[in-house]
Amino acid sequence: MIDVDGLHKLYGDFAAVQGLSFRVGPGEVLGLVGPNGAGKTTTIRSVAGIIIPTRGRIRIAGHDLADDPVAAKSALAFIPDEPHLFEYLTVEEHLRFVARLYRMGDVSDRIPGLLEELDLSDKRGALPGELSRGMKQKLAIACGLLHEPKALLLDEPLTGLDPVGIRRMKSTITRRAAAGTAVILSSHLLHLVEEICTRVLVMRRGRVAAFGTIADILAGRPELKSRKLEDVFLALIGQEGEKAEP
Amino acid sequence: MISVFGYLAWRSAHNRLARQLRQLRSPRYLAALLLGLAYVWFIVVGQRPTAMTGPAPDPRALELVGALALFGAVAWGWIFGVERRVLAFSPAEVTFLFSGPVSRQGLIQFKLLRNQLLILFNALLWTLILSRERFGVSSGLRVISIWVMLTTLSFHRLGASFVRTSLAEHGRLGVRHRLVSLGVLGATLIALAWSIADALPDVMAARDHDVRSFLSAAAEAAQRPVPNALTYPFRILVRPLAADTVTEWLAALWPAMVLLVLHYIWVVRADTAFEEAAAEVSLWRAEAFAARGGQSAPLSRKGPRRSLLRLSPNGWPAGAILWKNLVAATRTQRFRNAVLTLAGAGVIVGVLSFDAEGTLAEIAGWLAVFWAGILVLAGPQYVRNDLRGDLLKLDLLRSYPLRGWSVVLAEAGASTIMVTGIQLSLLGIGYLAFLGNRLMSPDLEQRSLLLLGSILLLPGVNLLGMLIQNGAALLYPVWVRLGTGRTAGVEALGQNLLMTIAFVALLSLTLILPAAIGGGAFLLLRTQLRTWAAAPGAILAIGVMLFEAALMVEWLGRIFERTDPATSGISL
Repeated sequence: MIDVDGLHKLYGDFAAVQGLSFRVGPGEVLGLVGPNGAGKTTTIRSVAGIIIPTRGRIRIAGHDLADDPVAAKSALAFIPDEPHLFEYLTVEEHLRFVARLYRMGDVSDRIPGLLEELDLSDKRGALPGELSRGMKQKLAIACGLLHEPKALLLDEPLTGLDPVGIRRMKSTITRRAAAGTAVILSSHLLHLVEEICTRVLVMRRGRVAAFGTIADILAGRPELKSRKLEDVFLALIGQEGEKAEP
Repeated sequence: MISVFGYLAWRSAHNRLARQLRQLRSPRYLAALLLGLAYVWFIVVGQRPTAMTGPAPDPRALELVGALALFGAVAWGWIFGVERRVLAFSPAEVTFLFSGPVSRQGLIQFKLLRNQLLILFNALLWTLILSRERFGVSSGLRVISIWVMLTTLSFHRLGASFVRTSLAEHGRLGVRHRLVSLGVLGATLIALAWSIADALPDVMAARDHDVRSFLSAAAEAAQRPVPNALTYPFRILVRPLAADTVTEWLAALWPAMVLLVLHYIWVVRADTAFEEAAAEVSLWRAEAFAARGGQSAPLSRKGPRRSLLRLSPNGWPAGAILWKNLVAATRTQRFRNAVLTLAGAGVIVGVLSFDAEGTLAEIAGWLAVFWAGILVLAGPQYVRNDLRGDLLKLDLLRSYPLRGWSVVLAEAGASTIMVTGIQLSLLGIGYLAFLGNRLMSPDLEQRSLLLLGSILLLPGVNLLGMLIQNGAALLYPVWVRLGTGRTAGVEALGQNLLMTIAFVALLSLTLILPAAIGGGAFLLLRTQLRTWAAAPGAILAIGVMLFEAALMVEWLGRIFERTDPATSGISL
């Protein structure tokens, strides 16, 4: 569903991503983790068609992102950590706007259910300026889910959400995956990654530090087996010496 | 504290300039810089010999014209107000300064200091622009004169905004305040007219001679006690600019400096409503900033939730962007005011035009036609609900399943529709105003043809103008101010003037071919079709304009698809 082959992204002499290849199949949730500056956001934004890779191919639902960007982007949804909304469109109008962009026809019957799922039903006539940070994030998520994407890209999806919102968000992601959506999720929240991701891609300095299920990764590094997830992560990114404050 | 503010302002400006200069490594930016320098050289140096011919202008006339211009700017500020923009702080400034141990006077000092960078830049720019004129003292002294003038005006704007904000907080700002301001302005104008009434015949007689004589006669009339007193504060500010020698300049400068200091004291002390108002405006702006990714268009909190414009579920996908931009425009207070004004003016003018005299309607008609013309140049610069606003959400735009050309067309198309709509409404008012005038030349048939021609041609002209403006934002996002707000105020007039001249030059360039082909067709067919030869001429011209627009859209679309948010320099 999402095929990344030999992805390189250079900024001048600096290589943000180097030779990254992976595949996310239908129903899989890939967790993208790594320290700041590891190349996670560059990767996810390249897969979303926002950043143009220096080298490499990206295919979404069988469509090459470089050769047929419209078909590829029609099959994906990108939800950034910072919700970008249009100041003068109401919640419902945002959804109608997205429906037209993605050639979905009349979505009047689908809007109530989606708003209900994201707890936005009583805000359908509100402008973004009248929404809290968490509600804005939910609206951005609703916009991303409306066209039922085959590939879902989430960058820190829990930012700004309250505990109820977090629970709903996790449930939404797993439900979409169960329905056959390929999901890439970039997050610093290791417990989230552990809870809902089927596989994990650990990045370090633009390269793959580890890739597979958590069990696979631990199998490859037996010395880490008895450690906490946080320690495993630090070991994988080469920060083993970092000690938690007592 | 001043040193901290100075550090913040200086380092921010320094780093911003460094970032802009770093872009010169890109050939696109380097070429633009060279073109820009050549343009400034042409404006400043290239025309010097022409300006040196003829006698020097009368300094008193210059003083009068300058004083009246300043009077107009100040009156505009008091009547219509600009307090929201003047008081606003950036989200980072709100976070660090409002929550920090900074007094309200400190905040004002920071605001004044930050404006200085813009004022200094524009003072230098004006000195360059005016350097070919044969009046005044050396450039160095002229910079000081312009700096004093712009700083005083900037202080006045801030002071006026405090007063207006204070009145608003006490529920006294509204129609009554506007009526008072208009009343003061009206009384001033009547006093002026009355005091120079007996000198008017001389002034009008001089008008028949030439502009220089007219201005000299007007300046002579303005020397009378009443006009002299009324325009005195404005003259004080302009006088150093009109001084011919260093001695005259020194004598003219100190009263201007006194006025500047008085304004400073007024602004720093008149801070009653400042902190609350500035905090409220800034937090509101920060909230809106976060919601829309940095745009600074005025936000209407009372916007209707139901839009008059419905988005059809089917059709051209990028039509959603066009619809979104039009909805955004219709939800601003400014739009609603414009629609009400145009509708009211249309009805009144329509009724008055059948009056036997019809003079009032005709004055309104000329004004409407004049503003419709002005909008050809001003519209694409001020109506910015397009890529200039949406580039701040480039991430989002790039993730949509749309080709670059369709994004560019939809974005520029929305602003084109808005400007064309206003222009055609104004032209409609103009047409109505002269409907009862059977003696006028051009006659009714010719006027109808002109209106028809405008309906055909204006969308094309406006689209080209919008594509130039959007193209500049897309090609040079680091140098072009993004967001729906434009740098405004008297202090930014210099840079806006240069940008306007450059825009007019580019627009004229794109209109040469359509004008030549359309005009050629008109001349060829004129003998057979007479006035109606304008119709095929206009159709050909619009055809060429649309062809040019299509080429530009295709080109800009490719650039949009290649624009990398991470390296373009756009602050997302």
